[in-house]
This record gives sequence, structure tokens and C-alpha cells, in this order.
Amino acid sequence: MKRRDFVKTLPAAALLPIAVNVTAENAEAADAAQAGAGTKHSGKSPQQPKGFSVANKTHDDSGAYDTVHCDQFGIDSEGNPIAEGLSGTGSDAGLKEHDPDNPHKMKLTQEEQDILDGSKGPVMAKVLKTIVMHGELFGAERLADCGGAPHSSLYTGGPWVEPVLEMFEEIADAGLKAHAPYTVNPMPLDLYSVGQDPVKRNMMLDGYPMQGRLIQVHTRLGARPLDVWSCACYVPEVGNTAKPGTVVAWAESSAVNYGNSVLAMRINRMATGMEVLCAIAGKVPVFGVLTDEGRKAKWHIDVRLSKEPHWGALGGAVGTKVVEQIPYISGIDQWIPMEDGKPDLVAMGKLKAFGSSTASSGAVGLYHMEKVTPEAKEQGRKLLADDYQTYVIDDAELARVMGNFKNLWKDPDGDPTSVYLGCPHNTYDEIFYWSKKIDKAIKESGQEKVAIPVVMACSIVVRNRLLDEHPILLRDVLRAGVQFTTICTPAYQGLKGMADIDRGVTNSNKARFYSRLRLFGDDDLLQIAMTGKLPA
Amino acid sequence: MAKKTFKGRVVLSGKVTGKATVSRQAFNTSGSYIENMFAGNTETAPCTDSSNKELYGKDISGAILCTPTTVGSTMGGMCLMGMKSIGVGPEALLFSKPIDTLAAAGVLMADIWKDQRIVTIDMLGDEFLKTVKTGDPIAIHEDGTVEVG
Repeated sequence: MKRRDFVKTLPAAALLPIAVNVTAENAEAADAAQAGAGTKHSGKSPQQPKGFSVANKTHDDSGAYDTVHCDQFGIDSEGNPIAEGLSGTGSDAGLKEHDPDNPHKMKLTQEEQDILDGSKGPVMAKVLKTIVMHGELFGAERLADCGGAPHSSLYTGGPWVEPVLEMFEEIADAGLKAHAPYTVNPMPLDLYSVGQDPVKRNMMLDGYPMQGRLIQVHTRLGARPLDVWSCACYVPEVGNTAKPGTVVAWAESSAVNYGNSVLAMRINRMATGMEVLCAIAGKVPVFGVLTDEGRKAKWHIDVRLSKEPHWGALGGAVGTKVVEQIPYISGIDQWIPMEDGKPDLVAMGKLKAFGSSTASSGAVGLYHMEKVTPEAKEQGRKLLADDYQTYVIDDAELARVMGNFKNLWKDPDGDPTSVYLGCPHNTYDEIFYWSKKIDKAIKESGQEKVAIPVVMACSIVVRNRLLDEHPILLRDVLRAGVQFTTICTPAYQGLKGMADIDRGVTNSNKARFYSRLRLFGDDDLLQIAMTGKLPA
Repeated sequence: MAKKTFKGRVVLSGKVTGKATVSRQAFNTSGSYIENMFAGNTETAPCTDSSNKELYGKDISGAILCTPTTVGSTMGGMCLMGMKSIGVGPEALLFSKPIDTLAAAGVLMADIWKDQRIVTIDMLGDEFLKTVKTGDPIAIHEDGTVEVG
């Protein structure tokens, strides 16, 4: 009997992992399992026929996301359930009460109402209907016109995304396009670099069978070429930025975080799919961090560290504490280099690492950093809400947080097999920094190559700048075994079975949070790359 | 148990009866359907969120899910849409708090674009979640009234 068939014959209780005790509470599981089967429904439609199947299903290892996944766990840092104040918007400036006899309605312009009534066709009417209904649930008073250019976080062509692809294809079939050429997150597969290993190449192709279809529909809807597909869409080489105050349709938690915080754009943390609908309409409902009130900080993060921190680890501490509420951070500006009153390119990497970590260990869509980010520079502590809380991060607290980072390797005592640098995608400054660091170590050691592959993730246009400005350096590090790739590291690491064959280390707390990768500082990572061994 | 009635805001209306599946902590959508999203399971939906002590390992396919709100990756909305499409999504979502943006996007996209309704009521109040237990009979009415017991 195949394992899949065997699993299907098991009673629901047999699906419980061995580690779970069957208690009175768990006895409710059987009821829960039966609840779905016994549910009667007179709504719009019952359960639909099964859609797809994937061979070689394994119940025990559904990919590295299992046990370590996602932006929020629904529990606080002490393990207690949390729910108060969560809206998914990163702001509590939404609807708190409702009148069933007078539900909230948005004020639409005549043009918007005409679109809803079909003036631009039935598909555009559906696009706007989805946006309006969504906004009204959160108390939006109106729609804002999008500026800048959109950024989509739909990038993984797994079988389960098919309904979203079909929605996009219906829009494309109607001849509609985004209001401006847009960027997309990096692809989860790269057949030319990390995909040179045939085992991993097949894992990628098995894991993302709809990748071609996804690329095609994005292309039809107006996406820019693949050489700029990157989660770090705001780096100069990609150039998807806009002036402070600009409302844009973006999804991708780290990009939203950077755009709101460092660039002072106005971006609600959208569910994947909604950002493309808003991009098609060129409209976004105004609520959450799109409002002035919604950008107030509910937490003062009082940093009292004796030395420059690991930026991802610091972001992890903040995100875990505030979950999705807006933090105002002080005591950290001395390590953020500024140029012409703005964070410079070195600072971009630090803020990217910090912010993406707040957005993955929590769901922070906006932070203010004293003397650094635009709104904090303008308004200072006036950004703190009246009822703000304070969280002090000193050396001991940061050490405590980092002490909770577990070793999740399948073989916890094994040697590392790969080094992953850059999640979110590296900036130009970062690939230049790492290339110089590795090249120097190679030449000083007399080794021809690094001991284990070094996977450097960035967009093609960022890598091409290194080719343009430092071609010999790029040649030498390629010869030394550095793999420049466009891949999304967590999506690659999340492939089923990857954790069985790869014991990776990384400089990214976001990548660590989403996978089984282990976090190390830069000097340790260099040593690991050169020796294939963990530091003593 | 004595029947108790709660009234919430209708996000997507419908009439559903069945048994409750309760997560008193906010439900991490994409974290809970990992096996369906990434390992090809289309038959059952064993909850893969190991931080969720109430639901981890339990089959949540077709559930009437009672929870404060949902949390997790921004994939959560299209996850709901995808799970409904492959037949393991929730039949109904009953939120004690206001709905979050991820769940709202998911249920609206599934309903408007795929004609697949997940009946959704929010703002049922904290007392609702204190009252309802996994396995309790649930009756959802078109006007947002939810009967427990």
C-alpha cells in the first residue's frame, strides 16, 4: 500500500503526531475532524471537486516551512495567545464597531461608481468591487489613486495558487493591465545557478510546476522583465520607488516595511492578490497606515546596546514583541550612516535586514527610527501614540532573544553544506562587500575555492552592476565558487525534501525565520565558507 | 448545553450548520495549511501550525472555524482561496474580533472571482469565543446570527 493510500485509511486521530498527548482537549479533535464532513451549507457553493495531486507526498516533511513558518505565530514572546489589536494592516486605525442597520459605505466618485456599474466592462467592475468591499470592511472612507508603480508578491507557482492565476488570467483576457509597469518578487527557482545540481533542479521543477504560467500572466498584466524581479524592488538598480507620501499598491512584507518606513511612502500590508487588483484599478482604499492617525507608534523601542547589533537579530526582537503594531526606535542612529540627510547605501542594507526581520518575526509594516527615517526626523517623538508602551533592548535582552534561535537542522551535529547571503535580495553594496571579503580570504588562504557553495541572492541588474564596475572581482569570486542567483532563499529552502539534503547557514534573520537555516555573523560565515566547518 | 445566540457583522452571508472547530489564539492561515500548500495533500487538512496547541495535527478540512482573527504570511488570503478551491478550505469563518486584511482578501477573492463562498461573520465578541468549544453544534443564519449549542 502506498503511504498516501495508507494515510487516507487512517482515522482522524491517527493524523495526530506522536508528540501530542490525547487529552480531553484533543478528544475534541475527532469532533473537529467530523465537523467538516457533517457541515451543511446553503451558501453560494459547496466544496468543489479536488483540483490537483502531487506525487511522493510525505506527511512527515512538508517542507522547511513546517514548524518554523510565517510572519506571526498568533502567540506572543512568552507563548501566550494574542489577538488584541491585530488587523493585518499594521495599524489599528480601522473600524471597531458596526451598525447592522447602517453598514459602513465608502464615498465613491461618479467615475468609480460608473466603473462598478460596468462602464469599463464586467471584469474591471469585479476588480473594483473586490477593492471596495475590502476597504469598507476596514472603514475606508474613499479610494486613493495609486502613484509610483506596483509590486507583486505572487511569485511561487505551486499548484495551490491556481485560483489566483485564473483570476489574473481572466483580467488579462479582458485586455486589462496594471496602471504602471510593475515589479515582482524573485522567482523560487533558478535553473542556471543553484539549479546546476540535478537533484535540486528537479525539486524546484516539482515544487513549482506553474511557474511558467505565473510568469506569463504577470507579463500580460504589465510586469517588467525578469532581470528586475526582486523582493528589494527599491534598490537603485531596480528603481521601484516614489516620493514620500505616495500611495502605492505593493505586497511583499519586507518591501512594504522598507517603503513605508525608510521612503515614507504609504502602503498597507496587502494580501497577495489584492495588490494586483489594486494595480489594475490604479486605486487603493484609504485606511490603516494610509492615514496620518494610522502611522502613530504604539511602542517605544528604547535601544541601549553597547555595540552595533546584528540588524536582523535586533529586528527579530522588535517584531516578536510588537507583532504588527508600529514601533518607534531610539538609540540606534549612531550606526546608521547618512548622506544628504538620508540613509546611504550601506544603511540601506542594515535597514533592509532590520525591517524585514520585524516583518517576518512579527508583521510590522511600518517603523519609525529616531534621527533616521523621514517621519521620525520631522516629527520626532510626537509620533508616539498617547498610550504607547516601552520595550528596552540592552545587551542582555538581545542575547536572550538570540538564545531562542533554535538549531533546526535535521542532523543538528552535521557540518554546514551551504552559505546563503541576502534575504531580502542583496543590494549592490552588499554583493561588493561580500565579494571583496571572500576574494581576500581566498587569496590569503591559497585555496582555489570556498569549501562549500556560497549562494548570493540578488537581482540580475544588481549583479550586472558588479560586472560593470568590478569585472575582475566578479570573475574571481565566480571561480572561487560563489553562486550569484536570483532566487528567493526561503522559497528555495522551503522545497519539500530540501531540509534533508542541505544544512544551510545565513546572515538573514528573515531567512532563518522562514526555514531551517541557522544565523551567523559575517566573520563566522566567512570562516564557514572557507572551511565547511562551524566555528569552534 | 443551553443554546446561546451571538450576532456579528455579515462579511459574506450564508446558512451553515455543523460543529465548531475552535482556535482561541489567532489562526495562522498559511502556517496551518502547509501540507496542502507545499506537500500535495488534497484529501485532508492536518493543521501544521505547531504553535497552535488546540489544532496542531487535527484535520481542519471543511471546518466551521471559530477564532479571534487570522494572522500570518501575506499569502494567507490566497491560501484560503486555494484551499477552498481544492476542497479542504473552511466552510465558514466566525471571528470574535474584526476581520483582518488577509482573511478579508481571501474570502472576497474566492467569492467574487471563483464563486466559492466561505460564509464569514466577524465582530461576534469575546463572549462568543469564551462560550464555544470544539465540537459544539453551530448554526449560522443569513443575518449574521450564530447559535451555539
